[in-house]
Order: sequence, then C-alpha cells, then structure tokens
Amino acid sequence: MIDLNAYLGPYAFRRLRDNTAAALLRRMDKAGIEQALVSSAAAITYRNAQAANEDLAAEIRPHAARLLGAAVLNPAYAGWREDLAVCQEKFGMRAVRLYPKWHAYKLTDPACIELVQQAAARGMLITIPLRVEDRRQQSWLVDIPDVPADEIAGLIRAVPKAKFALLNGAGYTGSILGKANNGLPANYAVDICLLRAELDNEIGALLDNLGPARVVFGTGMPFHYPEAAILKMDFLDRDEATKRRIRTENARALLNP
Amino acid sequence: MTRRHWIATTAAATALAQPAAPRVIDAHNHLRRGAPEADRQLIDAADKLGIHQLCCSTLPPERPMSHQGCVASNDWTYEGIRRFPGRVLGYCTLNPGYGKAALEEAKRCIEGRGFIGIKLYNDYRADEPVYYPIVELAIQLKVPILQHAGHTTWLPSAQPRISDGSHISRLADRYPEAMLICAHICGGGDWEWTIKSLRNARTVYLDTSGSVIDDGVLDMAVRELGADRLLFACDLSMTASVARIRSAALDDAQRAAILGGNMSRLLSRRTGA
Repeated sequence: MIDLNAYLGPYAFRRLRDNTAAALLRRMDKAGIEQALVSSAAAITYRNAQAANEDLAAEIRPHAARLLGAAVLNPAYAGWREDLAVCQEKFGMRAVRLYPKWHAYKLTDPACIELVQQAAARGMLITIPLRVEDRRQQSWLVDIPDVPADEIAGLIRAVPKAKFALLNGAGYTGSILGKANNGLPANYAVDICLLRAELDNEIGALLDNLGPARVVFGTGMPFHYPEAAILKMDFLDRDEATKRRIRTENARALLNP
Repeated sequence: MTRRHWIATTAAATALAQPAAPRVIDAHNHLRRGAPEADRQLIDAADKLGIHQLCCSTLPPERPMSHQGCVASNDWTYEGIRRFPGRVLGYCTLNPGYGKAALEEAKRCIEGRGFIGIKLYNDYRADEPVYYPIVELAIQLKVPILQHAGHTTWLPSAQPRISDGSHISRLADRYPEAMLICAHICGGGDWEWTIKSLRNARTVYLDTSGSVIDDGVLDMAVRELGADRLLFACDLSMTASVARIRSAALDDAQRAAILGGNMSRLLSRRTGA
C-alpha cells in the first residue's frame, strides 16, 4: 500500500504520537503500508514553512525508499520559488502540499497558480488537504474553514497539466468535484481518509463517478489511526483489481509521471 | 450467492469477533424514519463488521424536537426492533420540555415495548432542572440515558443548548445512581476536553463513536477514565468506529469490556440477567 496522506513532526494544537520517521515506519509496518508521502505537520503553522521542510528532509533522508517528501509551500510568502527548487532538487521531494486557508491565500491567486505550474513542470504531485482537523475541535486561536470545492475546481481548471491529490475531504458527491461528467479536467484524485465505504458509501459513488483511477489510499497518520483506511478497503464492495488500484497503483502513477 | 453468504465470506466479517469476547454491542446508533433500506444497510454493515446488537434511537428531523415527532420516531424504532429481532435494541427519544407527556412516552416505550433506554438530544442542557423528572424515571426503570454531547471552543449556532461533559458531570453529581452515557467522544468537538471533564464523574460512561478518526483518543480515555467506563459505539460511522478499537492498545479484558461487557452490565440492571 502507498499512503499519500501522512505527516511527521509536531502539530501546534495537539500531541501527535508516532510522528518521528522511526515511529511512523513501525506504524506502517504494523499496518502493511510500504510507502508514505509525508509532509511536516509543523509547517502548517510556521510562518516560514521552508524551515519545517528542511527538518523533514533531514528526518526522512535515511528512509528515502519508504518515506517520500512533500514540501509545504506558501505562495504568499517570500522566497517560495527558491524553496520549491531546493525541495525538489536538493531534498528530492516528490510532491507539494498546500494549505491555502491556514496560510491565508486563495488557490486561484496568480502566485498559487504559478507555484502549481512550476511544481507540475518539475513532475511534482500537488496535494491539498481540505482540512487538518474537524472544525468543531479547533483551538480558540484559530477558525480555519475547509478548502471550498469551487476554489479547488478553479485551480484544477487553471492548471490542467498538473496532477492533484485531494486529501481529508468528504462530501465530494455533493459538490462539483465528485460529480460525473463535471466538465473539470480529469487531473485530480481523492483520498479515502475521511470517506465512508458503508451506508452512503461515498467511496463507491466516487469510483462510479470519477473512475477507478481517481481514488487513492490515504490514512492521515499520525493525526489519524491508519486502521480506519485499512478497514474501509476491506469493507469496500469492489473487486480486488479495483482495490489494488486504490491501495497502490493509482498513487504510484501519480508519483511517477 | 445469497446476501448472507456474501457477508459471511467477506474478509471483514470477523473484524471485531474475538474468541474470548462477549456479545459486541453498539451502544449508540440510529435508525432512519421512513427509510427501511437505510436501516437494512445499517444491519448489513453490522453483520459485516461482527457487531451483534445495536442500541438505536430514531431522531425526528425538526429542531427543537416536537413531542409528536418523538412519538413517531419511537414508533419507527419499535418497528426496527420487530424487523430485526435480537439485533436492534431501542432507546426512546424524548424532549424533556414536554414534561408529563415525555414521561408517559418513556413508560410507553420502556414498560410497554421493551426499549432499553432513553435518548436525549440538544433541546436542553443536561444539568437543567427540566431533566430531573426524566432522570428520576430512568433510575426507577433501571435504564441508561444516552446524552448527545460535544464541546467546541465556540457555540455552534445550530446547537445552542448542546451538553458537554461538564453538564453531564453535574447531572451525575445530583443523581449518582443514574446510568448516564456521554455520547460520541469522536463526534466532533474537543475530545481531550471531554475526557478530562469526565475524569471525576465516576458514574458517567463515555461512548466511543463518531466520524473523527484522531489517533489516540481511546488510549487517552482508557488511561483517564478506565476501560470499565467506555462503551463501544458507532453512531453511523461504522468502519471508523470499529477501526478505533483495533487501533487502541487494549488488553483482552479491556477490549471485551468496551465491546460489550460494560453495556451488558448496564442492560442487566433492568432485566436482572
């Protein structure tokens, strides 16, 4: 399995367990996850996210075969072009992770579109966590909304050659992002982290609406326990070939353009 | 292949079943009024996940809940008990603000129809005096009260009178003999706050349900409250809630207690079993 939705390091508002490379690898071994795309949880609230990217790069360097780096970049902050280059060329990071609501910009701002274009030109996957935490449990210091679907759709339209993985989202089928024949480029996938395989079965609906190549495995660990995503895959009423695509093959295709 | 056979052969069919485990009882779930197919899907999911019994209420759609809405919803729950015998156990949904009518409805459901408990929502906070007659009746009938709960750092406008752990704790101080269950620790809201708020309310149980899949919730709850105060539950988030049990560092005795032993003990107070 390849997990496109994983993190390392401290988070500002809650203690995370297993947030070192060694501990996360142990958790991955227990869960049967071979590789994970990890970004820094500290970078979510750092002003200068590149400092957290540097820490992440040092942490994962000895484990490069299993922990793939995702650079948290803020297109509204000085120096992001150089930071992008360093993350990709020096640190070997395979993806970018964007937090538009935490970092106070819009995905459709010209600087963000330029960042995504540059990252895509470097062959990097663009990942966007729609939320970090359930809004009802956010600290009194912050009130950060989920990334809205129309903003994501605007970015997807603006950079059709980029590849996107949308993380920690739910309710896609009620928005343009989860509709069949929605007129958007088919350049984005959604992770199963907060989707359900039971009852309304949004995972199944998205497989039907978007196709089996556009649903990917993601746990959200160590914010989340990986057993939830694993059990959803066991529960999902689809054939093994489809499950294999979700667990591994779709992520591999996104990470290796 | 029949549906039952398919369920029995799935990889997840034994997701919770442990050789030494008691009945697995979901202490908090819901039927959906007028949607028998949704109820069927719930039972199918429980089959697939190894959940033996589900303690269900049905909530009326209007807020605040009308008494008529509660009665109609309780009738739907009763239909569910009969459609899924031995699988669905019923909580009767009440709005305490209806006073004597609410008490009569509780008796109609519990004494007349075999419901196992009372579900209270967000019409009032749990420490308001309007609760007292309901709690006194629950004590008399020896049934638990499942209290909808959550704690946020701001008041959500949709639920201005939602209860949190502190309200339930105060109610427990007044009625230590009551069987009070604080709902869905993972149903949104600051779960660390909720666990700490219940630390000294030793007669209050906490249900483990909810869609939030934050790591470590159950381990903290066991550490702070003890496994004997936790009740496995799903509240419609079936795989997330089952996986929560899998993710926690529990020994066999703790797992058995949470999965069904504790709820069995609560239910036995009325049945005498």
